[in-house]
Amino acid sequence: MRDLFSYLIKRAAWMVLTLWAVYTVSFILMRSVPGNPFGGERNVPPAIERQLMARYNLDAPPLQQYWDYLVGIVTRFDLGWCMGLEDYSVNQVLAEGFPVSATLAIFALVFAIILGVSAGVVSAVFRRSKADVALMFAAVLGIAVPNFVLASLAILLFVFMIQIFPAGGWGTLQQIALPAFCLGLPVAAYIARLTRTGMLEMLTKDHVRTAIAKGLPYRTVIMRHVLPGALLPVVSYLGPAVARVLTGSLVLEKIFAIPGMGSHFINAATQRDYTLAMGMVLTYTVLLFVMNTLVDLAYAIIDPRVKLQ
Amino acid sequence: MPPEVRRGFVIFAGLVVVAAVIWAARVEHTPPAEFAFQNGTDPSTIDPHRATGQPEGRIIFELFEGLLRMLPEGDPDPETGLQPMTPQPAMAETYDISGDGKTYTFHLRDGIFWTDGTPVTAHDFAWSWMRMLHPATACEYAYLINEVALAEPFNKSIVEVGDRVEVELWDRPGESPGGEASLQHFPRGTMKYGTLRNIVKPDEPKIAKDASEEKREEITQDWRERWIYEVDVVELESDGSFAADSTATLQRYSVSPDIAQSDDGIQQAHWVLVDFQHFGGAQAIDDKTFVVRLNNSVPYFLNLVAWYPSFPVQKNCVETYGSPMWTKTENIVTNGPFKLQFRRLRDRIRAEKNPDYWNAKNVSFKTVDFVSLESQNTALNMYETGQLHWIYQLPTSVMEDLEVRDDYHSAPKLSVYFYKLNNDVPPLDDIRVRQAISMAIDRKQIVQQVTKGGEQPAYSVVPPGIAGYKGAEGLKENVQRAQQLLAEAGFPQGRGFPKISLLYNTSERHRPVAEVLQQQLQNNLNIKVEIKNMEWGSFVETVQQEKYEMARYGWVGDYPDPNTFLDLWVSDNPQSNTNWSNPEYDGLLKSASGELDPAKRMELLRQAETILATELPIIPIYFYTSAEMAKTNIVGFAPSALDLHPLSVLRFRTDDSQPAKD
Repeated sequence: MRDLFSYLIKRAAWMVLTLWAVYTVSFILMRSVPGNPFGGERNVPPAIERQLMARYNLDAPPLQQYWDYLVGIVTRFDLGWCMGLEDYSVNQVLAEGFPVSATLAIFALVFAIILGVSAGVVSAVFRRSKADVALMFAAVLGIAVPNFVLASLAILLFVFMIQIFPAGGWGTLQQIALPAFCLGLPVAAYIARLTRTGMLEMLTKDHVRTAIAKGLPYRTVIMRHVLPGALLPVVSYLGPAVARVLTGSLVLEKIFAIPGMGSHFINAATQRDYTLAMGMVLTYTVLLFVMNTLVDLAYAIIDPRVKLQ
Repeated sequence: MPPEVRRGFVIFAGLVVVAAVIWAARVEHTPPAEFAFQNGTDPSTIDPHRATGQPEGRIIFELFEGLLRMLPEGDPDPETGLQPMTPQPAMAETYDISGDGKTYTFHLRDGIFWTDGTPVTAHDFAWSWMRMLHPATACEYAYLINEVALAEPFNKSIVEVGDRVEVELWDRPGESPGGEASLQHFPRGTMKYGTLRNIVKPDEPKIAKDASEEKREEITQDWRERWIYEVDVVELESDGSFAADSTATLQRYSVSPDIAQSDDGIQQAHWVLVDFQHFGGAQAIDDKTFVVRLNNSVPYFLNLVAWYPSFPVQKNCVETYGSPMWTKTENIVTNGPFKLQFRRLRDRIRAEKNPDYWNAKNVSFKTVDFVSLESQNTALNMYETGQLHWIYQLPTSVMEDLEVRDDYHSAPKLSVYFYKLNNDVPPLDDIRVRQAISMAIDRKQIVQQVTKGGEQPAYSVVPPGIAGYKGAEGLKENVQRAQQLLAEAGFPQGRGFPKISLLYNTSERHRPVAEVLQQQLQNNLNIKVEIKNMEWGSFVETVQQEKYEMARYGWVGDYPDPNTFLDLWVSDNPQSNTNWSNPEYDGLLKSASGELDPAKRMELLRQAETILATELPIIPIYFYTSAEMAKTNIVGFAPSALDLHPLSVLRFRTDDSQPAKD
């Protein structure tokens, strides 16, 4: 247990350091690109621009801005007011967008794991059968096809030809189904391949051969002795999978008109919404860091060979 | 890890997953709105004095209401399909205009209320206009009502000795002398009124000759902040009027905290502005009468009054919650045909019918969704599956299929697509070169083969469709003449013509236009054009710093009058960025603004436009047209020149004799 805690503390320290670095780099990058949040088709009169600058503390020297904003984040978790979406603070934007993105990610991941693992198991058990070839072909396709192509095909198929799902929007389970499917499918394909490889490797292991020789039912051997070992690579892939789902949703949110965080990410950057962009970058950093830590932790608990350090 | 822990962990992880799925599956069901439409990008604000874009405008027009409202009048034009819209009585029941066109008296109707139950009065308008013009509100549209007496000096915070001024002391709620400024400029600190007797100015700072405009501006502003204002302050009676026999006391103010701190005799102030509240051109005579005084007559003034920046907001609401918190669903107080029900970022704004609206009996829709949608394909998908009833950004790839349908609407819009030329960069400073470039462009090819949305080729800048105005002819396409002109300018067959760069903001719509233009100039004039694209923020900055040669631009009219397209190009307009200036042009626009006879005025504007279309500081390409789809069972839907679609006059066909085809 002690190494668990020291591990967590170490990771937390790293996270703070990473966040600080991300904050610094983003801050410098954002202010070095041309343009400012108040540039528009109409030139803003200088006196008015000064007022706007003052409202967002942009009239202070850069170092002062850097410090003030950092202090706000650290002491009050206050990411400031959005410069583009004037009526909202960054925290409010995150509070509205995060549950939506999380819902989508959860469905996509659960779907990917269930589909991927089942397909992988079937493929490995019926190795070299038609089912195996078909599933692995589908998996290669799933990895290769970008998700916006997948989304277009899915819309054509399930919205217009077979009219079972709505074309977009958010609020009902039906509306979640298609985007979650498109988001989860590439991950599922990857998991299927990992599971299959893991299964095949485990099937050649001595303890598995012994179990089969002992006369245990094949099903029991697969479930008790092969699958747990075969799933270890899948667990370690979950970290990158989360990253993939989070970034993949940027595109899908646009196609399916989903009010998640992803669309803010892009808009904040193009509109020079300094505060919102910063909020987004930091949030994604925290999310990825936490998810990776959890996966590492799970991996260490499940696999007796792995030591936390 | 011991095996029990491992097993326990697997069970725990399983439970977490199940819990997550259950959490994710909780669905708050929102019934669909009666009427839903695509509203473009997410509105950045719904504060009428802060908003600028069209998506924001559509929402504000329904939530709020001004003295007048743009509403359809008469039948659509049989030729263009345009529905004429005029400013019609809204919060004001009637209005009088004085003979010289400089005084407008609005009489508010009875039975108009805010959504919190309080009546809408003329004082609300006076306060709202003051808020809109206040420099700290930073309303980008404030310039529209510059002709209102004292509006411009108030908005630009210009004071001169002898002016009646107001001084806002540094004591807003939560402020201490010399401390941090409160960012809420309403409610205001203690107000002092009086006459400005003197301004003590420190020595004007020397500005290096090579300083950028930005730097200059900054130094000047910093210097102005160090001014000390000496004001003869007059006390107010308890009813707000000036005391007749009170003696003025001389007070000294400065907006600089340092100066105020260093001298006990100087009080720190937020603003020293002209006294717009008492002497400005927007006054409430009583609860029902609102009088506007203009410096010069503005023929399109009624249109401005019906435009959303001049809509009222409620003082109490703004002052209680502050900005922008007052716009939150639970706080906002409005006075329009619909009221805010909820607002979901990147999703929708739901508004419901306002039962207390004075004309509620003629509002049909119970609920309306303003759906935030940028993707054209998604919008079309949602329209086709019935989730949306009206969409206005159609994918060009399927335009040909959509054009022939009954639910397709297209009509000219009051907006123009053009290229700005930097008239300071040779050889673009030569009028013959500019004319040659313009005459060598085949605009028909651009609108028919590239944009394909029914756009009209433009040879001048004012779009057709403005009542009483016939635009300038402009120079039509004429490649031979263009070659001749180029030769006269010293570039026979384009020899020796430097490569010019054409800049556009990254977009799938602008790239093909630029490419065709590049090809046409190469083929017709042997001029090499280099196409560059920049993402919007950088693009705008590059053009504003005038570091470009040719740049794409578009302009949407703010009000249906040629002036909105022409006054962009007067010499001192910061919007122009072309370095073009023509005293005759400036003079014509100036005399047009003082001309009372509409026909004469239009003629003056036409002359100005002719100069513009001959000298070509900008090269017009086409006039936009709207292309939208609206379900055929909507009654009252028709395109309008300003692209306004008041939802309060729309309704669904009830007899269903002509069901929607889709």
